[in-house]
Amino acid sequence: MYELFEHTADLGLRATAPDLSSLFAEMGRCLLASVVEDPASVRPAQDVRIELAGTDREFLMFDWLKELLLRFETEQMLFASFDVAATDAGLVATARGERYDPARHALAHEVKAITYHELKVEQVDGAWLAEVIVDI
Amino acid sequence: MTKTAYTGPLEHIGCCCHRIPTSYKAGMRVPGHIYANDTLLEQLRKDQAPEQVANVATLPGIQIASIAMPDIHWGYGFCIGGVCATDPAEGGVVSPGGVGYDINCGVRFVKTNLFLDDVKHRMRELVRELFETVPSGAGRTGKYKFDAVDTRRLMGEGPKFVIGRGLGVERDLDHTEANGFIDGGDPEQVSDHAVKRGAEQCGTLGSGNHFMEVQVVDSVYDADVARAFGLELNQVCVMIHSGSRGLGYQVCDDALATFRNCPQKYGFELPDRQLACAPADSPEGRKYIAQMRAAANYGFCNRQLLMQQAREVFSSVFGRSWEDLGMEQLYDVAHNIAKLEEHTVEGKKKKVWVHRKGATRAFPAGHPEVPEAFRAVGQPVIIPGDMGRASWVLVGAPGAMEKTFGTTCHGAGRAMSRTAAKLDAAGRRIDRELEHKGVIAMASSRHGLAEEQPKAYKNVDDVVSTVHDADLSRRVARMRPLGVIKG
Repeated sequence: MYELFEHTADLGLRATAPDLSSLFAEMGRCLLASVVEDPASVRPAQDVRIELAGTDREFLMFDWLKELLLRFETEQMLFASFDVAATDAGLVATARGERYDPARHALAHEVKAITYHELKVEQVDGAWLAEVIVDI
Repeated sequence: MTKTAYTGPLEHIGCCCHRIPTSYKAGMRVPGHIYANDTLLEQLRKDQAPEQVANVATLPGIQIASIAMPDIHWGYGFCIGGVCATDPAEGGVVSPGGVGYDINCGVRFVKTNLFLDDVKHRMRELVRELFETVPSGAGRTGKYKFDAVDTRRLMGEGPKFVIGRGLGVERDLDHTEANGFIDGGDPEQVSDHAVKRGAEQCGTLGSGNHFMEVQVVDSVYDADVARAFGLELNQVCVMIHSGSRGLGYQVCDDALATFRNCPQKYGFELPDRQLACAPADSPEGRKYIAQMRAAANYGFCNRQLLMQQAREVFSSVFGRSWEDLGMEQLYDVAHNIAKLEEHTVEGKKKKVWVHRKGATRAFPAGHPEVPEAFRAVGQPVIIPGDMGRASWVLVGAPGAMEKTFGTTCHGAGRAMSRTAAKLDAAGRRIDRELEHKGVIAMASSRHGLAEEQPKAYKNVDDVVSTVHDADLSRRVARMRPLGVIKG
């Protein structure tokens, strides 16, 4: 489950999930929802493998979202679905999506960057919660 | 996350300045100084921006005070509207968060010799033409493509490089902060990712609060300075607000990653990770400075190409060359930047790193860095407001050198979050509302106009009246918008 929340000049991404791996997947979907008007318009046509190392969960979340954003900025790839395996040493993921097509994808925001501000990855009542502010 | 109000101290110390004492928070090395009049003071307590001013006061080497302008609002790490000067000789830091993701985001102001009567029946055509010509919005690339080598030249040479290709004239540089070139940048140290993000975006507006506006001077407050600036009542002008696009964002991002371990390495603590910083005189600090300066030069190039496209559109709509239309640049100022400047601190002259995040340089008359043409009156300061009310041209004042490291405000400052503004606009047609006020507005995203509607901003007149009363800069002319294009 994910949602966008408000922050004065920017935008917040928040997700909850039963385990850490699916939390990364949910946040990936949440990022897509901040970038395009209709996340359902993005087809999971192409697989991309992403591997990240890191032991700090918050920095790993930051690096994950940053990586997805960079793929959009430099390769115009939008990702709609994810299989993530998060471990203590990092994560291995398959992200599925397609190239941005102006005819089918309406962009909602230009996400300039993922920020560290009030960055959160924590366990709450047996579930996982993540929050990130993105600069727009 | 809910928006919590700031309940800490704000002690009035005169001249619209309110102090957060060092006793407020452990680790504060200097007090916080926030400039606001009574109306704005009430608004600024509503969120955590003052807390962020206090956080910045903990940075190593900070001088005098952590300062905030009246257009302050809640940011990430640093507040927007913040000024922080650090002394490298005292372990002073540079902070990418104190500059912002959009390095050298700024404003360029271009005059014309047209008057309201010349354009009022052509506005729809003019705005449409600008909207179709000037790339705006998320993901838009420009008509100017630069390969990796030339993108690095944009950073290494600044607008001089594109002027060499006929996209502008030498005198544009004379009317740009730092003459459009900040020395000491090193494009070779900028990552390939950043270069890739910037290669096709030079000459594009971007989205968010960036815009290009056609404006008319509707009041002149200081006739002598206005004359020196070449401004008069009913004159038509163009204002451009944009920065260094994806290239700058990536440089900031890269630096934040490099700075992760700096608190540990150099032995200091930070109240918020987004305040990431490194001593200016350290390998990490020096690298960021070289990258940031290079990105700033790219930012000047971006606004140069945006201006050139505006000149071409005016020329095609009015059937005269841009030179014939008097489309001369009044000035171009950065409002997201860190610069090494000489200031007097406790009676001693020293070089400090002045971080301006959503704040504008405002040097007074006589300062050697003010272009010769304006040295007798002071540096032009360009303050964009919202798209329904007004924008301003101010002039730098001596008070800024005494109190704010030569700095004034940068705009109106947000009063509503983007989400709140969008909800507020539900069921309304912002473009029609603006049209009733005499403003033609076109935006490339559905939510663009809703999030940026006039109500989402503080009244820029309140912000300007505060900096005027505090003698940080003085009113010269007020413009109202006639047409606007947005991302």
